[in-house]
Amino acid sequence: MQRKHLGRLGMVASIAAASLTLSVVAVSSQATAAPKKLVGIAFDLGGKEQPGFNQLAYIGFKTFLKTHPGWSEKDLQGNAADTDASRAQRLQLLISAGANPIVVVGYSYENALKEVAAKNPNVKFSIVDDNIDGAANVEGLLFHAEEGSYLVGMAAALTTKTKSVGFIGGVNIPLIQAFEAGFKAGVAKVDPTIKYQSAYASNPPDFSGFNAPDKGHESALGMYQNGADVVYSAAGSTGQGAHKAAFELGKGHWSIGVDADEALYASNAKYKSAILTSALKNVDVGVASFLSDVVANKFTAGAHFFDASNGGVGFTTTGNHLSAAIIAKLNTIKYSLASGAIVVPTDPSKVKLPQG
Amino acid sequence: MSVAIELKGIEKNYPGVVANHDVDITIAKGNIHAIIGENGAGKSTLMKILYGMVKPDAGTIAIFESPATIKSPQDAIGLGIGMVHQHFMLADNATVLENIVLGSEPMKAKVVVDYAKAREHLQSIIKTYGLDISPDDLVADLGVGVRQRVEIAKVLFRGAKILILDEPTAVLVPQEVDDLFKNLKGLTQNGLTIIFISHKLDEVMAIADSITVMRHGTTVANLVPAKTNKKELAEYMIGGELPSPRPATTKPREEKVLVVTNASANDRTGREILHSINLEIHAGEILGLAGVEGNGQSELIELIMGLVKPDSGSVVTVGLNTQDSTLREIRDHGVGYIPQDRQRDGLMMAATLWENRILGHQQTKPMSNGVWIDKGAAKADSERIIEEFDVRTPSNTVLANALSGGNQQKFIVGREMSGDPKMLIAAQPTRGVDVGAQAIIWDHLIEARLKGTGVLLVSADLDELFQLSDRIAVIFRGTIVDYLDPRKTTPEQLGLAMTGEKIA
Amino acid sequence: MKRLNRFFWALAAPIAAVVFTLIFVSIILLMKGASPLSTFQLIASYGSQPENLVAELNQTVAYYLAGVAAAIGFRMLLFNIGIDGQYRLAVFIAAVVGGATNLPAFLEVPLIVITGVVVGALWASIAGYLKVKRNISEVISNIMLNTIASGLIIYLLQPGRLGLKGGLSDNLATPMIPKSGWMPSFHIMGGELYSFAFVAIAVGVLYWVVLNKSVFGFNLRATGMSFRAARASGVNAPRMVFITMALSGAIAGLTGMGELLSHTHTYSLAFPTGYALTGLALALLGRSNPVGIAIAAFFWAFLEQAAPALDLNGVPKEIVMMMQGTVILATVTSYEIVKRITRRQQQRLVGAAEAPRVDAVAKGVKS
Repeated sequence: MQRKHLGRLGMVASIAAASLTLSVVAVSSQATAAPKKLVGIAFDLGGKEQPGFNQLAYIGFKTFLKTHPGWSEKDLQGNAADTDASRAQRLQLLISAGANPIVVVGYSYENALKEVAAKNPNVKFSIVDDNIDGAANVEGLLFHAEEGSYLVGMAAALTTKTKSVGFIGGVNIPLIQAFEAGFKAGVAKVDPTIKYQSAYASNPPDFSGFNAPDKGHESALGMYQNGADVVYSAAGSTGQGAHKAAFELGKGHWSIGVDADEALYASNAKYKSAILTSALKNVDVGVASFLSDVVANKFTAGAHFFDASNGGVGFTTTGNHLSAAIIAKLNTIKYSLASGAIVVPTDPSKVKLPQG
Repeated sequence: MSVAIELKGIEKNYPGVVANHDVDITIAKGNIHAIIGENGAGKSTLMKILYGMVKPDAGTIAIFESPATIKSPQDAIGLGIGMVHQHFMLADNATVLENIVLGSEPMKAKVVVDYAKAREHLQSIIKTYGLDISPDDLVADLGVGVRQRVEIAKVLFRGAKILILDEPTAVLVPQEVDDLFKNLKGLTQNGLTIIFISHKLDEVMAIADSITVMRHGTTVANLVPAKTNKKELAEYMIGGELPSPRPATTKPREEKVLVVTNASANDRTGREILHSINLEIHAGEILGLAGVEGNGQSELIELIMGLVKPDSGSVVTVGLNTQDSTLREIRDHGVGYIPQDRQRDGLMMAATLWENRILGHQQTKPMSNGVWIDKGAAKADSERIIEEFDVRTPSNTVLANALSGGNQQKFIVGREMSGDPKMLIAAQPTRGVDVGAQAIIWDHLIEARLKGTGVLLVSADLDELFQLSDRIAVIFRGTIVDYLDPRKTTPEQLGLAMTGEKIA
Repeated sequence: MKRLNRFFWALAAPIAAVVFTLIFVSIILLMKGASPLSTFQLIASYGSQPENLVAELNQTVAYYLAGVAAAIGFRMLLFNIGIDGQYRLAVFIAAVVGGATNLPAFLEVPLIVITGVVVGALWASIAGYLKVKRNISEVISNIMLNTIASGLIIYLLQPGRLGLKGGLSDNLATPMIPKSGWMPSFHIMGGELYSFAFVAIAVGVLYWVVLNKSVFGFNLRATGMSFRAARASGVNAPRMVFITMALSGAIAGLTGMGELLSHTHTYSLAFPTGYALTGLALALLGRSNPVGIAIAAFFWAFLEQAAPALDLNGVPKEIVMMMQGTVILATVTSYEIVKRITRRQQQRLVGAAEAPRVDAVAKGVKS
C-alpha cells in the first residue's frame, strides 16, 4: 500500500523534474526576435497606474509613441524588495528585449544604471530625478520642483482668508522636502506671519505615503479644522484625499495639486471645484524630449535641468479659481525665477513661518 | 427485571489494533453498572460506540429491549443515553442555567430562548433527583463537585434515562465522592440507569450493583460486588496476580533532605498562600502530604523547588537555601520531581522519549557534559527506564504523545528516579494510571526510599498515602495542621483532618 | 527500512506541495489564456541563466538569513514579524559605523558585522523584554518597532546628521565604507557572488549544531515545546524566551550584510525592504531546518528573478506571487497531513507494543 504510494509520487516527481530539464534546454533556442524600434521604461515603486512621477514619465513616454509611429514599448515595474542587482537585471531585461532608448524612473536606480550603462554603451538612457556623472550614454532629468512649489505657495498665501496654510508630503525624503521648502518660501515671500502646518504620510522605506488617499484625507481634514483654508499636497495619489476633504468642507477650502494639472484627472473630476491650482513638475515633458532627442540624434549626456526658465515647472489655472491679479503676479515671479533673481531654498527648515 | 442495555458480540477494529471484540454486556434498568479495566482495555471505545461517536464493525445493541443503531450522539440522546465526560464542558462565565440550556434551548416563537420554561424544567429535575445546584450561580464560582452535578443535570435536562459517567471520581476529593454517590443512588431510585467507568476498585465495590471487567478489548467477567473482592477484580483486570507493595521496614536516616522553617509566602497580589510552614523530610523517608486539592499543595511544591521564594522563614532543600539558589541548581543537586500534571509539566509531548529522558537532567552527567547533549547516553538510559518500569512502547524514538497516560507516567517516574536523587517530589504519582502501573510505581517509590531518597508524596489517594507513607502531614488552607502516623490513623480520621478538624 | 520510511515521509510533503502548486497555477494560467508549459519553461530558463543564477544566489543568502531568523523564533513559538525593522536598523547602524571608521580589514569587517548583529539583537530584545516582563504579544510590539525603526532611520539619515545627499540625486545615504571594510565577491558565471555566502553557511551550521546538539539548544527547544515542562525541568524559561527573541534579531541583523559589504558599501533609501514576511514564509516552508530554508530561499529568489521576464513576455508577473502563496498553503497543509499519517503509524506501533505483553500475562494466568 505504502510502496504503491511511493511509486506514484515518485513518478509524478520525475515527470516534473523531466519537464523542468526539458524547459531549461528549450530556453537557449528561444531567440529574442527584437523589434527594431522599441523604447523601454523601468518604473520605480508605485508604477504607472498611480498618479505621480511614474505616471507622468509614462505620459511623456506615450506622447512620444503617438508622435513616432512604428515605435513600440516595453515597461517593467519596481517593488519594495528591489536590490541594485534586481534593478540592474530589470534594465538588462529591457535591453535584451531590444529596447533602446530606455527611460529609468527614480534615483533608486542610480547604482544599477551606473553598472548597466557602462556595460551597454550603445543603449541611451535617461534617469528621472537623478544623473550619472561621467556616463556618456545617460541623460539626467532633473527638476527644480521647488520653483513650481514656490509659485503655488505664493498662490496659497494670496488666497488664504484665515492666514493659515498646510502642506502634506507623500514620503519624508529630500525630493519631497524640496517641494515643501519651495512652498513654504513662496508663502513667506507674500506674508511671513501666515500660520503653517506640515505633515508627511510615511517615512522611508515605507513609500506607501505616495498612495494613501485615506491618510491624505485625514491629514487635510485636521489641517482645515486647525484653521488652514489652503492645503498643498506633494504626495502622489494621497493628494486625492486632500482634494476630497476640501471639497467636503465646501466653499472657502482649497486644495493644491502637484506634478500635473490635477484638476484634469478623471479621478479628481468630482473635487475639481476645490482644486485651486497645481504645481507642475513636467516629468512628461522631460521624458518626451529625451526620447525625441535620441531619435533625432540630438542626444547629449549629462544633467538636464528643467525649471521655470524652460517650462519644466509651473502652475495651472484650470477652473479659473485664481484671480487675474494673482495670475499676473505669479507670472512676474516666474520670470524672476527663470532669470535667477529669486533662488528658492530646498531645505524646509531654512524657511521660518509661525506654527499653525 | 427489565433490561436497559444489551450489547452482544460488539467488535471494533482500528487498522492494526483490535479495540473491542466479543463484548457482551447486559445492564438492568435502575442499576449502577460499573465497567472497569486498565487503561487501553477498551472501555472508552465501547462507550464511544454506545454514545454514537464510533461505529462498531459487528455486534448488536438493544436499548430498553428494542434493537438500536446509534450513528451519532444525537441518536444516542434521542434514545435517552447521556454522557458525562471526565473533562467538564462548561462555559465559566455563564450561569448554571445558561450552561444547561446551551445547545438544547427551548424556544419562544422559535426565536427567543424561553428561560422561564427552561428554569421550570431544571427546577423539577433538581427536585426530583435531589441535585444540590442553583440555577443562577456563575459556573466560575463553583467547585469541582458542583460542576459535575451541573454536567449531570445538563444530561438529564436533555431527557437522558441512561447516564454514562466516564471516570467521574478522578477529579473529586473523598467528601465530594460521597456526595456524588448519594446523588447517583438518588438517580437510580428514580428509575435511571447508570454506567460507571472507573479503575478505582474501592469505589466500584462501594457503589456498583453489577460489574463488568474488561481486558484487552473484551469482557472477561461479569460480577456482583457481594460475591467478589478487590483482589479478584484486580486480577481479572491485569490478567494475573497483583503485586502488593512491600511494607517499609527500614528506619528513616538522621540526615535531612528538606528543612522548611516557619516559611510563609504571598502570591502576586500580596495574599498569603502559605502560612508558617514547618516541614522536615529525612533521607530514606516517605512523607505523605494529605489535603483537599487547592489548599496550598502546588504552592508548597514551588516553594520547595525554589520557584517561589519565602517571604519569611527559610527553605533548605537538599542543603541549598532556596533564597539564593536557582531551580536549576536545586534540581542538579539531586531533586527529582514527578509533577501532578504530567502532560503539561512533565513532558515535551511532541518530542521523542529519549529527548524527554534528558528533560531535567540536561546539565548533568550522563545526559550531557554541561555544554553538549549526549544522545547515546540518553537513548541508552531511556531503554533502561523502558525496561525497568515496563513502559510499553516500540522504541525510544516514539513521540511522548503516542503513549497512553499510564506509560507516560511510568516513563516520568523512571526519569525522575534516575541518578538516585537525594529528594523526590512525587505529586499524584499514580493518578489516572491503571493498577498494574500503579503497582510498579509504588514498588519503585519504596525502593527509592530504601536507597535513602527522601520522598514527599503529595496524593489525593488516601490508600496510597496509607500504604507508602512513614508519616502523613496534613495541609489545610496553606498551612500544615497536623502530622499523623499512618499506622495509628484511620482513613476517616485523616479525611476529617483534611477538612481542618483537629483529631482529639 | 524504518529510516527509508521516515525519509520518504519527510520528502513527500514538499514534493506533494510543489506538484499541487504547479497544477493549481497551471489551471489559473489556462484560465488566463496563457500556456502553463511555456510559462514554466520561461521561469526555468530565465532563472537558470548563469548571470541570473548568481543574482539569485546573492538574494538567496539574504532570504535564507531572514528565514533562519524567523525559524529560531518559531522554535519558541515566537512570530518575529520584526525582522524587517531589525535588519534595516542593523544594516544602517553597521553602515554608519563602517563609514566612520577605517581600521585594517581584519578588524573593520568584523566590526561592521558584529555591529549589525548587536543592533539587531538589541532591537529585537525590546520586543523580547515586553513579551517576558509585560506579557505583550511580540507581534504587536514588533510591528510598532518596525515603524519606529523606519522613523529613526529617516531621522538619522538626514544630511547633517548621519546621512549624506549624493550630488544631484535625491537619494539619502550613509558615508561610504572604506575599502578595508569591503568583503570580496567572486567573479563567476558572469556575475559577482558575495563572499558573505560563507558566513551564511556558517550561520546555518551553527544554528543546527547549537539547536540540536547543545544543552542550550535543548533548553531552547524544550521551552518552545512546553514552557511549563521546561520550567519544571530547571530551565529559566522566561529568560529563554527573551534570549531567543534577541538571537532571532541577531540573525536578522546579518540579513543585509552581503549587499552592504560586497556591493553598496553604504546604506541608502534604495535598500530593499520586506524581509519579515519572506523570512517567516521561508521558515515555514523549510520547516525551520537550515537546509530546508536554504532550498526554499533559492526557490523564492529563482521565482522572483523570473517575474520581470514574465512581465516582459505578457504573462502577468503576479503569477509568481500566486505560486509563492500557493506553495506555502500547500506545504503547511501537506506537512499536517503527513504528520497525522506518521502519528497514526506510531500509535499503531504503540498499540501493538502494548498488546502482546497483556496477552502474555493473560496466558500466564490461564496455564
